[in-house]
Amino acid sequence: MKRVEFLFPELCNIYAESYNIEYLSRCSDELEIINTRHNEVPAFVKGEVDMIYLGCLTERKQEKVIEILRPYTDRIKELIEKGTIFLITGNSVEIFGKSIKDGDHVIPALGIFDFTATRYMDVERHNSQYVGTFTDSEGEQILMLGHRSQFSFAYGDFDSTKFIDIEIGIGMNPDTKAEGIYVNNFFGTYSLGPYFIMNPLFAKYILRKLGVDDTLIFEKEAIEAYEYRRDELRRNLG
Amino acid sequence: MIRFYIALWASKLLYAINKMRGDERDDRPGLLAFKICPDFLARVAKPKLVITVTGTNGKTTTSTLLYNQLTDAGYKVSFNDWGANLHAGYCLNLLRGVTIFNKPRMDASLLEADENTLGHTMGMIEPNYILVTNICKDSLRRNGHPEYIFDRIEKAFEKLGSKTTAILNANDPISRLLAENTGTPRIFFGMNDAHTNPFENRVNDLGVCPVCGGDVKYNYRHYRHIGDYYCPDCDFKTPESKYYATDVDLEGRSIAIKEQDGSVNTYPLISETIYNAFNVLSMVTVAREVGIAPKTISKFLETQIVTKIRETCIKYNGIEYHTYGTKSQNVSAASTVFEYMAKEPSVKEVVFCLDEVQDRNHPSETLTWIYETDYEFLKSPNIKKIICAGHMYLNHKLRLLLAGIPEDKIFCVEEDERVPEFVDTEGIDKVYVLFEIDYVVKGGMWRDNIVKRAMELNGDDPSKLDSFDYFDNASNGSSNVKEVR
Repeated sequence: MKRVEFLFPELCNIYAESYNIEYLSRCSDELEIINTRHNEVPAFVKGEVDMIYLGCLTERKQEKVIEILRPYTDRIKELIEKGTIFLITGNSVEIFGKSIKDGDHVIPALGIFDFTATRYMDVERHNSQYVGTFTDSEGEQILMLGHRSQFSFAYGDFDSTKFIDIEIGIGMNPDTKAEGIYVNNFFGTYSLGPYFIMNPLFAKYILRKLGVDDTLIFEKEAIEAYEYRRDELRRNLG
Repeated sequence: MIRFYIALWASKLLYAINKMRGDERDDRPGLLAFKICPDFLARVAKPKLVITVTGTNGKTTTSTLLYNQLTDAGYKVSFNDWGANLHAGYCLNLLRGVTIFNKPRMDASLLEADENTLGHTMGMIEPNYILVTNICKDSLRRNGHPEYIFDRIEKAFEKLGSKTTAILNANDPISRLLAENTGTPRIFFGMNDAHTNPFENRVNDLGVCPVCGGDVKYNYRHYRHIGDYYCPDCDFKTPESKYYATDVDLEGRSIAIKEQDGSVNTYPLISETIYNAFNVLSMVTVAREVGIAPKTISKFLETQIVTKIRETCIKYNGIEYHTYGTKSQNVSAASTVFEYMAKEPSVKEVVFCLDEVQDRNHPSETLTWIYETDYEFLKSPNIKKIICAGHMYLNHKLRLLLAGIPEDKIFCVEEDERVPEFVDTEGIDKVYVLFEIDYVVKGGMWRDNIVKRAMELNGDDPSKLDSFDYFDNASNGSSNVKEVR
């Protein structure tokens, strides 16, 4: 069995992020899902896991989760280096940067990657979609779709660590086409909600990475919906 | 001051022109007033009574009931009942309530207010009361998340302090914490167990105890996170209510409300749903605070029905064809409607008319809400078919399949006009067209086309079908049910 840890579902499920894990688990009966609550020691600290998922949070809970994870920063670095799969969606990607600025208040983050984030809580929430290409370390390419709805942006040099080359939409901030973080098997993106549903080809990719059969539940319907969205986004926003 | 009067006169002139054109609901006069004079809301004279109604769900129904009640009790009321619940709508509401010399000419102003705008506007308006119906999960594009909305509303109380009174839902563990530290007087309304046996939602709006981060428990829930709660790890619990519904009979459509002096009065409900029971409870709370007698309120409520903007019905050949407001991207509202579809016992077919107006510019954005909303509730034997149309049809289909709905019950097409061909004309009691609230007319049109096809198949003349004026307020006594014979 492959072990998949969903960190803090009671805090990190504000836009149906739990569906990422539910979908994976329904695609393969070779996955053991570990739901870790915020007042428990994460499974990745106590032992080995094959994949860690952390989803989007409210701003106050984002700060709480930084404090929960801070003692485990070295362990997280170690797991990233040894190739454990991380899927980090929404503003939880900011947790792995250096800091988050909110007005005059600066919140130190885990400092694993070299970027900072800034919140703009009094400005209208940014909403957009993206279409872009993920190229993995072996040259495999997947066309990715994303949906962002956020109060903050990230700043830094993302060229060597980007997850997706954006074709339509924005990257980590409105001035870059570099979206997300991709280091070894760490995948971070600002996109919200059920990312595997939005990107069934990426769901298959992750299942293969986990070493299990990559057949999706309702695969035909999932890919049809994905292709329709892809064409619609290109038609309307391209 | 000169700028204010220019704004007042220019916007009043534009309003008069619009009125002559029969376009009173156009809020451009309000926008003009704001553009000319950014602090128009602070300078315009207010009537003696200003009430703001806000919150995620129930604003429109509650404020419409309140408007009808105040009018019935003899008040002359200005009310933004046309859905303009943003800055321009407030300006128009208030400018209608003054003379050209900025003297109040109304007894009251009732503001249905979007939660997002409160912090910027209420400090200028200084309403006597701010009713917050609840804070639930809403459209993420507009409203982010409940914690963000809480902060936006709280800003209004921080600015107003003791200048206003907060009327809050004791059963909502999120909004009940509003105005706790702002010096604002707070009045709670709450409800005893109505035995609704609510389903569990996929997404929990509360998450953890907002005070200590512990796991909140419930003695009972009404729906979603609304109920009688407590935290075992701290003293966070349902506060005591000044207006407490001791006995709620949803089927019999009555609610008994106990007041602080121990008196209990019974009022009619406008429908058999728990959320409308809360709408009536919150409306009664405000009306009682304003000084309207229980008997007057009770008598008035006997005349009230759910507004046509939310629900209408055409009966034909033994089948009821309903339009039912659903607010698609408002996750909490959509899930609550799906739960109602499952629990309402009739054999029915459900039609999704749920694309959002703003999605024309944001295609595919609705994917997130589809997975937050409890499609699993639709896996009910009394739901015979689910029919979806519009550009999200493939997403709805996938979600319904993942929710465990049998494939032979799902009918999804891209073209709207094909919907009627999938709706049965016999073997069912009801058809519900669940429509996104921005598409009141479109939802009505879909339903009418379904009825027309049934009439054609039955050899009747479909041109006989006379539909509704959906913006006709329920207070005039006209029914939201029609029968085609």
